[in-house]
Amino acid sequence: MTTLLEVTGLTTKVSGFTILNGLDLSVEEQELRVLLGPNGAGKTTLIAMITGQFKPFSGTIRFAGQDITGWAPDAIFQTGISRKFQVPNMYETLSVFDNVMVSLRGRRRVFATLFQVLRAAERDRIWDILEFVGLADKANDPADTLSHGERQWLELGMLIASDPKLLLLDEPTTGMTESDKHRTAELIHEIAKSHTVLLVEHDMHIVRQIGKRVTVLHQGQRLAEGPLAEVMSNELVRQVYLGKGKFQ
Amino acid sequence: MMLQSIMTQFLSGFSVVAILVIAAIGLAIVFGVAGVINMAHGEFIMVGAYTAAVVGKLGGNTFLAMPVAFVVVGLLGLVIERGIVQWIYDRPLETLLATWGVGIILQTVMKLIFGPELYYAGAPKILNGGFHLIGRLPFPYYRLFLIIVAVLMLGLVFFVIFKTDFGLKVRAVRRNRAISGCLGIDTARVDMMIFVFGSGLAGVAGAVLAPIKSVSTTMGFPYAVDSFMVLVLGGVGNLWGVLAGGAVIGEAETVLSFIFNNVIGQLLVFLFIVIIIRIVPRGIFGYYERR
Amino acid sequence: MVRDKAGKPAGKRRRSIRRAPLFPFWAVIGGAALVASIGAYPYYSTNIYVLTLVGKFLCYAIFALSIDLIWGFTGILSLGQAVYFGLGAYMVALSLKLNYALTHPTRFGNKIPDFMEWNSLTQVPGFMTPLYSTPVAIAAALVVPTLFALLFGAITFKRHIYGVYCAVITLAESLILQNFIIEYQAYTGGFNGITDYSNYVGPSFLWFILAVTVFFVIVARVLTHSRVGTVLKSIRDNDLRAEFMGYNVANYRIFVFCVSAFMAAAAGGMYAAWVGIISFLNVGPIFSIEGVIWTAVGGRGTLIGPVIGAFLVKGAEAFLSDRLADWWQIIVGALFILVVLVMRDGIVGTAMEWVQRRRRGSYRQILADADRAAHDLQMDWRTEGAPRSGEEVR
Repeated sequence: MTTLLEVTGLTTKVSGFTILNGLDLSVEEQELRVLLGPNGAGKTTLIAMITGQFKPFSGTIRFAGQDITGWAPDAIFQTGISRKFQVPNMYETLSVFDNVMVSLRGRRRVFATLFQVLRAAERDRIWDILEFVGLADKANDPADTLSHGERQWLELGMLIASDPKLLLLDEPTTGMTESDKHRTAELIHEIAKSHTVLLVEHDMHIVRQIGKRVTVLHQGQRLAEGPLAEVMSNELVRQVYLGKGKFQ
Repeated sequence: MMLQSIMTQFLSGFSVVAILVIAAIGLAIVFGVAGVINMAHGEFIMVGAYTAAVVGKLGGNTFLAMPVAFVVVGLLGLVIERGIVQWIYDRPLETLLATWGVGIILQTVMKLIFGPELYYAGAPKILNGGFHLIGRLPFPYYRLFLIIVAVLMLGLVFFVIFKTDFGLKVRAVRRNRAISGCLGIDTARVDMMIFVFGSGLAGVAGAVLAPIKSVSTTMGFPYAVDSFMVLVLGGVGNLWGVLAGGAVIGEAETVLSFIFNNVIGQLLVFLFIVIIIRIVPRGIFGYYERR
Repeated sequence: MVRDKAGKPAGKRRRSIRRAPLFPFWAVIGGAALVASIGAYPYYSTNIYVLTLVGKFLCYAIFALSIDLIWGFTGILSLGQAVYFGLGAYMVALSLKLNYALTHPTRFGNKIPDFMEWNSLTQVPGFMTPLYSTPVAIAAALVVPTLFALLFGAITFKRHIYGVYCAVITLAESLILQNFIIEYQAYTGGFNGITDYSNYVGPSFLWFILAVTVFFVIVARVLTHSRVGTVLKSIRDNDLRAEFMGYNVANYRIFVFCVSAFMAAAAGGMYAAWVGIISFLNVGPIFSIEGVIWTAVGGRGTLIGPVIGAFLVKGAEAFLSDRLADWWQIIVGALFILVVLVMRDGIVGTAMEWVQRRRRGSYRQILADADRAAHDLQMDWRTEGAPRSGEEVR
């Protein structure tokens, strides 16, 4: 298994706060890695850095052998990384179908999209994705009429459409009901069969349902890494989660 | 010789800085807290100036006009906030348009009341005359007065924001609106009060700026645009922003207008601002913007 | 635009989306009728005053259309769109004035524009001589503002300066250009503007303006109906999501801003040729914001709305402002407030909303649909005591 994503010594400071502190992390191809950690550990910041939202203070990020540190978000997308935000982010007035359509991997430049026509194969693909996430009935509805769970699924569908090599999912089940969460976990499990997924989650039920390998972050550094059972029985991890431990 | 002239312009520029700070501070606190820009800000200043003119006619002077204008324009701001602005805080661009409409109405109403002639609000006699700064530069006392007023206004806002209960709530809402609401702070009331406070400050600005030129219904717009640029350059959410923006723009405009002419000076300052915000998109002292 | 399918039974999934056609039947018919009635105007009326107004309004309509492209579809509020209109107008006006001066020399015999002579110029400045040639002037009127827009876009959009900040900067830009034009009166006619040149009022030029208007409406429709249009709308709705989905948001903004500037410049050029007077007022913030209000009143994001809005507001002004004097301004101000608080989709937007609701069916129909869908899921969505469909429903 080759290493798809490799983060080395990543450090970020925001308003004087050091959020990531020399973080090392690597994700193999076809892996489903779960990222755990208490609030403020830097999980969302790590995802933000990988996708180019901020430039790091120091450190490197390598993806598929390429150094993508400091690249712009749209360039990083082209290399094959797609990000799901914590709060569902989609195009509110566009229909569900259009939301997915506009996310399809393909031409992105202004003059390329000028006379772009939707091909039949692409159309089928969109319908397949909509059926996969269970939104085919609502294809014509504007995105702002969806329920919260459906919005999460729509964004998931948009990510699938973008055909990434690596999916960064930032707490995709926040605000969902139990049954919806279960369903989402199944979807992610299915997606992980053909993509590499880095999943940030808080809900341990979900993690237990689909997580195999787990990385725990704390105060911007990697605290522990390994199979789920092993990490959860780690004394240091327990202390950190229960609030008694300080890293080093 | 040229250098000395520039130096004297620089010193006289302090009063321009003062004018900018006085004009912008009301706008700054509303934009900083509630995130809305009041396009009628210029007209609020204008109403304050007319108030000063009326007070003058009734026998008062500028010192009296200041608190009167504060109350008058503050009440005006209350009416507008309750009637219009409170419904559109979540749509800042549209607040621009709605308050522009308010501005048009204010201008026309004032014209209907006072007629299109120019009014004059004189400075208090005690402030007439001036002294000589560095040899040949005449420095009117009134300009010195303006500098003092600017400092006092900054001080007043500082006091309110940092030393009162109300100011504490304002800062909390500024930091994190949602959590403040959860903690029991009536954020809608804070917005309203800050809008009224900002309006009142605009009124004071009008009263104090009235003696500089003549009072007319269209006098407000240039002040409004200047205030916008002060905010854009200096950044919002921070009192230093108003001072920094005002200082840079005031001095740059004075010196450059002296070297070239007024219009080129304006253009150069504008270009300068555009360059600066390319580097710091939210202004010199703006909140750290994560992009 | 995607329409809803009313009354589709749940469980039977048909893989089709209905999109509005590029040129809906009603739009083609209605548009043709409108164009015909305007075009025929010179034949059934000899009222020069109204004829002049119609030509002006068409130019205003294109101006409003250009604002709709950037504001209604891409979410960029520019309070300085008149800069491009005015630059186009001044190029054309200067050219016409220069040529006019050749055949109408001043009192002192100089073949230069009067305002140049008043400012002690004895000959036309070198950088203006290319404007003698009409093709060059037209090209300059179109290209120079577009390049200006490109420069502006590259400076601001590449740094993600948008929203309120962008609005304020465009406002300042417009004001500064206005002051520039007033100041350098030797070259621009200053406060008085450029007047007294041969302009082209007449049926053939009206048809030309009409043709250009139709052209731009079609171009705007094709653009917004295409994939680019969908991307622009997605940028308007959520530029963060668009950027992280691989779209270079800055480039798209620059693109649409340039297209819009081109349109505004064309409108300005035609306006100068038609009306015969232009001044700093056509360049400043007041005119820019007027354009925004026509777009808002008509309905932003609808293309036809701004056209209607321009005609309505300016038409009302032409007929009411004399009688109402200052009260007209109060109405205009109230219009701004109204369009933001109450009629947010504008006239055409509200009308389209109404039509769509009629298509989806009445309230009763919506309840019936919801009941059916809920029945399939074996859920009851109603709270206790709520009316069931079939009962009296308001």
